[in-house]
Parts: sequence; C-alpha cells; structure tokens
Amino acid sequence: MPYIYINIILAFVISLIGTLIYRSHLISSLLCLEGMILSLFTLNALLSLNINFTLSTIVPLILLVFAACEAAVGLALLIIISNTYGLDYVQNLNLLQC
Amino acid sequence: MMYIVFIMSVLYVVGFIGFSSKPSPVYGGMSLVVSGGLGCGIIMGSGGSFLGLVVFLVYLGGMMVVFGYTIAMATEEYPETWGSNVVVLGAFLVGLLMEVFMIMWLFSGEHELMGFYFGGLEDLMVLGEEGFEYVREDYSGGASLYSYGFWFLAMAGWMLFVSIFIAIEVTRKRY
Repeated sequence: MPYIYINIILAFVISLIGTLIYRSHLISSLLCLEGMILSLFTLNALLSLNINFTLSTIVPLILLVFAACEAAVGLALLIIISNTYGLDYVQNLNLLQC
Repeated sequence: MMYIVFIMSVLYVVGFIGFSSKPSPVYGGMSLVVSGGLGCGIIMGSGGSFLGLVVFLVYLGGMMVVFGYTIAMATEEYPETWGSNVVVLGAFLVGLLMEVFMIMWLFSGEHELMGFYFGGLEDLMVLGEEGFEYVREDYSGGASLYSYGFWFLAMAGWMLFVSIFIAIEVTRKRY
C-alpha cells in the first residue's frame, strides 16, 4: 500500500514539473495543472478510504469542486489569449518584455 | 492478479509522464483521460466505488470534455506526438526510465514490505447485536457533505455560482 502512495506522489511531482516548464502551448500547462489536481484527488480518496475515516471523504469532493472553478477561470483566460493572438503560444505573451 | 492495483498505479505514472512531456494538447488530453481511468481503478481497489464514479462523471465527463473542445479550438494544423519530436520523446523516455528505476529500487534491497497487502477493504463491518452489518464508507462520507458538511456545501455552491460570473466578465470584449 505505501508503494501505491509513492507512485501517486511521484505523479504529482511529475505534473508539477510539467506545469513549471513551458513549451509552445499554454494549454499544455493547464493540462498539467489538471493532472496535479487529479493526483491530489486520488491521494485524498485513497487516504480517506484506507484509514477508514469516513467523514474525510468530503475532502476529495470539495477539492474537485474547487478544481472545476479553477479550470473554468484558466480556460476563460486562455480564450482571451486565443482571441487576441490567434493561438495560445507562450511566446506571444511578451508585452512586458523590455 | 494480486498486484493489479500496483500495476495500475505504475501505468498511472506513465500516463502522467505522457502528458507532462508536453506533446500537442490533443495527445496530452488523451493521456490525462487514460490516467483518470486508471486512477478510478486504483480508488476502486480500496473499495471506493462512489469516488471512482465521481472521477469518471465529474472529472473526465465534465472537465475533460470542456478541455477537449477548448483544445479543439486552439490547436494547430500538424500536432506533434510523442514520436514526431525528439524533445517530447526524450522527456518521455527519461520519465519512463525514472519510473523503472524506482520500481527496481522498491522491489530490491532489505527493507521489508510493510503493509504490502492488497485485500479489498470494501466494507466496514460493524459488529451489531445480532449478525453483522455493512457500512459503505464513501457513500456515507459523500452523503455527510449534505448533513455535517453543510457549510462546505454552501461555500462550494456559492463559489461555483460566482465563478460563472467571473468567467463571463473575464471573456467580455473590451473595445
């Protein structure tokens, strides 16, 4: 059982690294953010089920609600960038560059 | 068959490496869907059938669908996959190698396999006065969102309501 936890925490770290490293698309980083939330949900659900603490099953559900709101706001920002620049390439976001 | 949940968690990590090596977002979304399905399998291996259903319905069926058509809107003509770009392939292979080394490290050495059991802890058996009763953990936990966790429910509902207005306001055109 601890080996499964190691794998899920490793998945969180992998998608965290994926969020912080940009390639061409901005939506790939948003996708890695969703991956972080999926791994947190899996970890919370497994912990709640395996220590048999029934009331803490609320935590993965609330996490999913917050993740949905965050995905909505992130996608709205992506839509604006895509409307302004045509594509969501990260190299287009250079207005503050000196 | 005993190690099926562990194998699913290894494939879960491989799916995460798949979209974290940043191919075109179409393939990244597909890899996230595969990882979501495997995560549902891992949760159900511990007896959480309600939470597995929540993963499929809410996460994959709600959020990933929205991501899917947003990706379809902002995609390019020739999407790059894991085999077409050496950077993506190199990142994927490095991640895969890391996972293989971690598994080899886990299953060797002198540390004992503490708690390495895969029995399905599906039901919490309650010793009643006559016979045994069963308590579905995750169903009753999800239902307690509406009774004990009413304030959680109120805040989550209010947050969802406000985020609709936030999304509408953010995407308003300013001329």
